Amino acid sequence: MSSYALTLYVMIWPVIAAGVMITLCVSVYRDMRKARRDGTDLV
Amino acid sequence: MFQLSTPTVLLLLFCFYGLTFLVSLRVGRKDENVDGYMVSNNSIGFGMAAASMTATWIWAASFYAAASSGYKFGLSGALHYGFWGALMILFIYPFGRRFRELAPKAHTLAEIMHARHGRSSQMILAGSNIVGSMISLMVNFTAAGALVAVLSPLSFIHGVLIAGFGILGYTIWSGFRSSVLTDFGQLIAMIFAAVVIIPIIFFQLGGPELFARGMPNISAEQASFYSKTAILEQGAPYFVAVLAYAIGNQTIAQRLFAVREDLMKSTFVTATIGYASIVIGLGMLGFLALLAGVQPVDGDLNNLIPQMASTYLPPFAVGLFFIMVIGSLSSTADSDLSALSALVMTDVYGKNMAKGKPNPKTMLFVGRMTMVVATMLAVVFASLKLDILTMLIFVGALWGAIVFPVIASLYWGRITNAAFTSAAIAGFVMFLVARFELLELQGVVALFFELFASVGGGVVIGLMAFGFFGRKVGFTLGGLAFLVLAPFAFGFLRDYPVLLSSLTAYGISTVVCVLVSLLSNENFDFDCINERVVAFHYNPVPETSDKPAIEQGDSPCPATR
Repeated sequence: MSSYALTLYVMIWPVIAAGVMITLCVSVYRDMRKARRDGTDLV
Repeated sequence: MFQLSTPTVLLLLFCFYGLTFLVSLRVGRKDENVDGYMVSNNSIGFGMAAASMTATWIWAASFYAAASSGYKFGLSGALHYGFWGALMILFIYPFGRRFRELAPKAHTLAEIMHARHGRSSQMILAGSNIVGSMISLMVNFTAAGALVAVLSPLSFIHGVLIAGFGILGYTIWSGFRSSVLTDFGQLIAMIFAAVVIIPIIFFQLGGPELFARGMPNISAEQASFYSKTAILEQGAPYFVAVLAYAIGNQTIAQRLFAVREDLMKSTFVTATIGYASIVIGLGMLGFLALLAGVQPVDGDLNNLIPQMASTYLPPFAVGLFFIMVIGSLSSTADSDLSALSALVMTDVYGKNMAKGKPNPKTMLFVGRMTMVVATMLAVVFASLKLDILTMLIFVGALWGAIVFPVIASLYWGRITNAAFTSAAIAGFVMFLVARFELLELQGVVALFFELFASVGGGVVIGLMAFGFFGRKVGFTLGGLAFLVLAPFAFGFLRDYPVLLSSLTAYGISTVVCVLVSLLSNENFDFDCINERVVAFHYNPVPETSDKPAIEQGDSPCPATR
C-alpha cells in the first residue's frame, strides 16, 4: 500500500469518531429539548 | 517519560469526578424507583443510549490491548481487536430484540432465565454475570492505579482509591440512570481526546513519511493485511468470544432493556461504529509505534500507550489523554456497579430471598449496599494486583458455555432446566480440560476435542447467521462452517489451546443441551415469560392472598421452580 493509502487507513478512524460524536450530540440536544417541552425525564 | 505534577493530577481527578457528581445530581430523586434504578424508564432516546452503550463497552484495557495488538501484529492488528469487539455489540442486537419482545419489563437476562427455566439456570447466568462484572470493576480500578502511577508522582493505591470512591460517589444514589447520564459526557470527552491525540502523535512521528521509513523494517507478516498469525492468535479467539461477551455481560443487557424499543437498531449500529472507530483508531498508535521502532518500557506492551502519550504529546494533550483513560474506565466501572446492583436486587433478593414479592425500599437498600461492598472488594483485589487474565479466561469460558443454552432457550420450547444446567456445566468442565491440558492433547483425546471444537465453530457461525437471517440460513451456514472447519481442525487446533478450548465450550454445551432436550417432551409457552417478568415498583400483590398471581391458578403458566 502507498503512504497515502496507509495515511488514510490510520486517519480515517478519528474522522469517523468525530462524525459519531456530532451525531450523538445533536441527538441528545434534541432529546433534551423534547424532554423539557414534555416535562419528562431524559433518563 | 513526562509526568504530570501531583497538584495537576489531583485537580484533573477532582474536576472530573466533581463534575460527574454534579451531573448525576440532575437525575437524583428523593424516592428512587427500583425499576428506574436498574433499567431507567425503558424508553431512553437514541443519543443517550448509543453513547452509554459505546462508553460502557470501551474500558481502559480496550486502548492498551488494541495498541498491543497493533504493535505485535502490525497492519491488521488493531482491526483484529477493535472490529470483533465492535461486532460483539452488533450481534447482540437481533437477540436483544427477542429478549425485549418476550420480557419488555426485564431487568436482567438471568431474570428471563428464571422465568423460562427456574432457579438453577438463573443462578448460573447471574453468577457468571456477577463474577464478570466484579472482575471488570477490579480491572478498571487497577487501570486507574497504573495510570496515576505512570503519569504522576502519586502511587498506584492513590489512583485506585480516588477512582473507586469517585465512581461510587456519583453512581450510588441513582444507579443505572446516573450511569447512563454520565456516560454521555464521558464518551464525548473520550472521543474528543482521541480525535485530537491520534493526529498529533501521527504527525509528531513524521506523518506519511513514517510509512516509507518504517514499513521496510517490519516483518512480512506484520506488513500484510491478511496476516495468518494475527488471525489465529488475535482475530479468531476474539471472534469466537463475540457472542459469549455479548450474552454474558449484564451491562449490555441492561442497556438493551433501557433503550426505547423502536430505537434499538439505530442505537446498536451507532454504538458498533463508535466503538470500532475509537478503539481501532487508538490501536493504530501501536502500529505507529512499531513503525517508529519504539521499545515498550520494561518490555511491557501495556506501557505502550502511556509511553507514546507522554513522549509525543504536549502537556495539555497529556492531560487530555489522562481524562480520556479516566473517562473510559469510569464509564465501564459505573456500569459494572449498576449491573452488579441490578443482579443482586433482581436475581438474589427479588427472585430468591423475597420469592418474587420484594419490598421496593429494601430492594433499593440492597442495590446501594451491593455497590458499596463491590467497590470495597474491587479496591482490595485491585491493590493485590491479582492475575486478572486468568480470571478473565475462566469467565469467558463460562460465558461461552452458556451462549447456546441461553439463546436457544428463548426460541426452542423443548429445552428444559436440566438441559440448560447440564450443558453449561459440561461445556465449562470440558473447557478446563482443554485449556489447561488436564488430559494430554494427543491421539483420540485431541481428535475428540477437535471434533467438538469444529461443532463449536459451526455453532458460532450458525447462531450469528440465525440472529440476522433466521433459522434456515442459520442451520445451513452453521452446518457448512462445521464441514469446512473440521478437515482443518483435525491435527491442527491442538496447537492452539486458547482457540480449541473456547470452541469446545460452545460445541460441548450445544450437543449436551440438544441431546438432553430431545429426551424431554416439554413445549414451553413463551407468553409465560412476560407474565412472570414484571416491574417491581408497581406490582402490588393482591391483599386476598399471600401468593403471587401466577400461583393462584388464574394463569396457564405454572410457577417457576
